[in-house]
Parts: sequence; structure tokens; C-alpha cells
Amino acid sequence: MHLLETRNLTVRFGGVTAIDNLSLTVGEGEIRGLIGPNGAGKTTFFNAVSGRYPSSGEIRVRDHVVSGLKPNEIVAQGLARTFQHVTLFKSFSVLKNVMAGCHLRSGYSFWGALLGTPRTRQNEADNERRAREILDFVGLGGLADETAANLPHGLQRAVGIAVALASEPQMLMLDEPCAGMNTAETRSMSDLIRRIRGNGTSIILIEHDMKVIMGICDQITVLNFGTKIAEGSPEEILRNTAVHKAYLGSAADAS
Amino acid sequence: MKVEQGTAAAQADGKGNAAPPSLNRYAWAALFAFTLAYPAAVSFDNYLLHVGITIAFNVALAASMWLIWSLGLVSFAHAGFMAIGAYTSALLLTKLGWPMWIGMPLGAILAGAAAVAISLPLMRTRAVYFFMASWSVGEVIKRTIAYFDGLTGGWNGVFDILPPTIDLGPIQINFADRIAYYYLAVVICAIIVLCIYRINDSRTGMIHWSISENELLAEHIGINVFKHKVIGFTIACVFAAVTGALYAHYQTFISPKSFDIWKSEFALVHIIVGGLTTVGGPVVGAISLTVIDETLRATGPFRVILFGVILIATVLLLPGGLETIPGRIRRALRGRKSS
Repeated sequence: MHLLETRNLTVRFGGVTAIDNLSLTVGEGEIRGLIGPNGAGKTTFFNAVSGRYPSSGEIRVRDHVVSGLKPNEIVAQGLARTFQHVTLFKSFSVLKNVMAGCHLRSGYSFWGALLGTPRTRQNEADNERRAREILDFVGLGGLADETAANLPHGLQRAVGIAVALASEPQMLMLDEPCAGMNTAETRSMSDLIRRIRGNGTSIILIEHDMKVIMGICDQITVLNFGTKIAEGSPEEILRNTAVHKAYLGSAADAS
Repeated sequence: MKVEQGTAAAQADGKGNAAPPSLNRYAWAALFAFTLAYPAAVSFDNYLLHVGITIAFNVALAASMWLIWSLGLVSFAHAGFMAIGAYTSALLLTKLGWPMWIGMPLGAILAGAAAVAISLPLMRTRAVYFFMASWSVGEVIKRTIAYFDGLTGGWNGVFDILPPTIDLGPIQINFADRIAYYYLAVVICAIIVLCIYRINDSRTGMIHWSISENELLAEHIGINVFKHKVIGFTIACVFAAVTGALYAHYQTFISPKSFDIWKSEFALVHIIVGGLTTVGGPVVGAISLTVIDETLRATGPFRVILFGVILIATVLLLPGGLETIPGRIRRALRGRKSS
């Protein structure tokens, strides 16, 4: 049984086919890299799987069909994601960002919240404790009370991951987590991704930094023009001529 | 990851983070104590009691509209839902003789049902489109009421909407008495504000603000944005309807014109001048602007102009509204101490 499986996934925008019959499986505990030239359909794949874009074909989580579900329902199925551009509740404190992320897995009732029942207060306290644990885990423990918008870019990305982790996903989809980061930040991000996998969460990773991809991925899938052109271990991908051609063009194209 | 500690000092005034709650609570308690003592303080002056009652209506309206704002939406349908509450209660009294105690909850239920039905399509729109759509909803409600003139009296309105009475044997209160009506309005207004305060202070409030802050992210962390928008909108409309019923039985006369776009617009102005991030904003905004508006009555034709000048001045000189004043004072004091 695969954790995530897509069968003939297709996404069309008018006449453009952004994802074309993509079939893909990701196993449990895997770090899967998703690479390809700009416009290959990597982010579109995330958007389709996370329920943001309508798609045809089938998406399964643990053999459970989830195609057609709304984003909030997909998250409830254990599939969380981050965004290419830093996407946070910017005027919230870092802690509140993560607490909002915890909402899904913690008890909530409207009337309980309105009346402030002991159970609700207990829930909120648990929520805050969980949020702080997650912040400690991603290394932001000391910044819990800082307003998210005031953090430097690299830390904002880490908050984004903390928010996604708060929904307790089985699989985390990371859209260019290292974009715009310096070497040190990139290294700590790679380390964080490995630690998240260490906790049993599988990861799909879109990234342009090949050092990161080659360094941490178990398997890599290469997309070009919405189709899969290669799949395999980092070593296999490095040797693959189709991949070289997609990124650099072939000798025949040049002449 | 290395953490810079120096920035932690700057966090105290960050938006969305809890301010010291104790001071807040004292301010609310003081305000409520003042409203209770107000009739005696103005030696039961009829006009000043009228101002007090108007303030209660305006506070309730602005606060409930602010609840919709916390979802990131500006609704101009508010006066329309106020009209549903007002007309339901008024017509049940004038046609069937049912007192306000029945008419008000029924009006609230009817407005709630209408709000759910309307918000299903309405919540598919966003930002300025929602604003336009809600505006037309308000107009449609108003004109629909005017259209069925056999039932509603059309543009001529409904007359003789008597205030309610309480008859419990030894305790008899006739709310035709202005002091009694003042306390009725204040209590209902206080309940509405308290409910909104609690909603905003709870997880529901956090959900609202997360939707307002970043709808995309809210969806992708598992919040059912559509559902929460419908629920929040409906609650606010129910409160507007309650206010409407209260308004009808106070004025004893209502017409569709009582619930035109200006009612919604003034509620919005109260929120903007008062402040957008806490319940205190609409409350303070509605109180101070109603007082200013009534004070300017003496200036006759200049009333509207002066009101406009004060509005513009507040927005320009006090960005963030009146609710930012305590923070500004605190910062100014701290600045003086350190220099």
C-alpha cells in the first residue's frame, strides 16, 4: 500500500495541459524529490493533490480515493503542504500561527468556545503546549511571541513548515523550502527535513537547489511539460540523458 | 537554528497578540458601570436618555458588523437584516397582537434563516465583489418589504409599534417609559457585545482572523472557510435583527427608509473610526461618533460638514482608530521615561 498514489492525474487550464496523465507513487517514510525545469508542472501537481485545483484522474492516500475533496478535507486525510511564497498569518505571533495549524487535530466546539467551558480551556492549553513543542522541534522555540511578519525570510519559511506540521500530517509537501536561503539556512533546512522524516512523516519536496535534492532524497521524479520523464535514485537521475536534455537541451537542439 | 533575543523586546505591541487583559477588563467594567449610572447622572433628561438609547443601537449594530469584518468581509446587507428583525416583530404585534418578547426571537430566527440562505451564494464572492453583492442584498430586502404593501404598509411603513410591557403580578414594567427602555436597550446591547467579545476571544475568533489574514493558508491547514464564513455572517445578522426589533419598538414607527444604505454605512464608519482589531473599536467608535453627531445638532446646516471633517481628521491623524489610543499613550510614556 502506497502512502500517496496518483493515477493518470491530469490538470488542464483551458487549452493548456499542465499535468498530463501523471502516475506516481510515494511510499511510507520516503523523501521524494520532485524536480524539473520551470513550468514543468511541479507546483501544479501540489495544487492538484492538495485540492486547490480541480483535476481528473485519481488521487489516493493509503488506497483511499481523495480526488475532488476540498483543501481542508485533504489536510484532514493527512496531506499537508507549504507554499512556494512564504504564506503565513503575518500579523499573528509565531505561536498563534502554529496554534491555528493545531486546530484540525484538537477538539473544538462552537458553543464550548463561546461559553469557555473547562474542556475548552483544557483544549486550548493542550493546543498551546503542542504548538510550543512543534516550535521547539523546528528550532523556533525562542521566537514564539514574535510577530511572524517581523522574522527574517529563512525563519518565516520554518514557521510555514511548523504550521503545516501542526496538522500532524502523514505526508508533507514542501514547495521550494530552500528558495532564497543562504548556505547556512539551507543546511539547517535540509537537516530539519531529515528530522521530520525521522518522526515518520513522508515528504515530497520541490526544490531547485540540486545539492539539497541529491543530498536528502531517496527517490527523485523528474517532470517536464507535465509528464514524468524520469524516476529513480539520485545517482540514476544524475546519469539520465533525458533529464540532461530537459534541463540543458540536446546537441541536436543546439544545431 | 540560532535565535536572536534582541528582537523579543519589540513584540509587546505586535498585532494579534494578547495585550494585558486585566486593564481591558477594568475598562469594560467601568464602561458598563457608567452606562448603568447614566440615567441618574443626566437626571433622567428625556433627550439625553434618547441619545443613550441611540448609542446602544449603534453599538450593537457596529459590533455585529465588526464580527463580519473579523472574517475579512465588509457587509452592507446589515441594515437589511435589521429590517427583517424590525418588521417581523412590528407586524406580529400590529397584525396579531404578539408582544415583542415573541416577535424579537422570531425576527432573529427569520433573519438567521435568511442569512444562511443568502450567504450560500454570497460567500462565493470575495473582497469588493462581496461588498457589492451584500449591498444589493440589503437593497433587495428593503425593496421587497416596500413591495408587499398590503402586509407591510409599503413605503408608508408601520405605525403604532407599541413598546413591550412586563406583567409579573407584583413586578410591572411598561417600557413606554424611557428610563425602562434605556435599561432594556443597554442590557440587550451588552449581551450582544459580550457574545461577540467571547466569540472573538475564543478559537472561533482565531479562525475568523486566520481567514481574514490568509484565506488560502486557512484552507490548507484544515479550516472549513466556507462554513465558518456562513456561521459568522449568520450570527452577526441575527444580532442585527435583534437590534432592529429593539429599534422598531422604540421608534414605534418604521418604514423601509429607516433601513437604507446609510444605516449600514454609519455602522461601517463607526468601526473604522473606532478601530478594526478589537471589539473595543466598534464600541468606542459608535459611542463617540453618536455623541459627536448629537452635539453637532446645534450647528444646524453645518452638522454634516463638521461631521465629515471630524471623520477625515480621525482617519488621517489616528490611523488604526480610537482603539490605538491606549497603546499610543503607553508608548509615549515609555519613550519619555527612557529619554
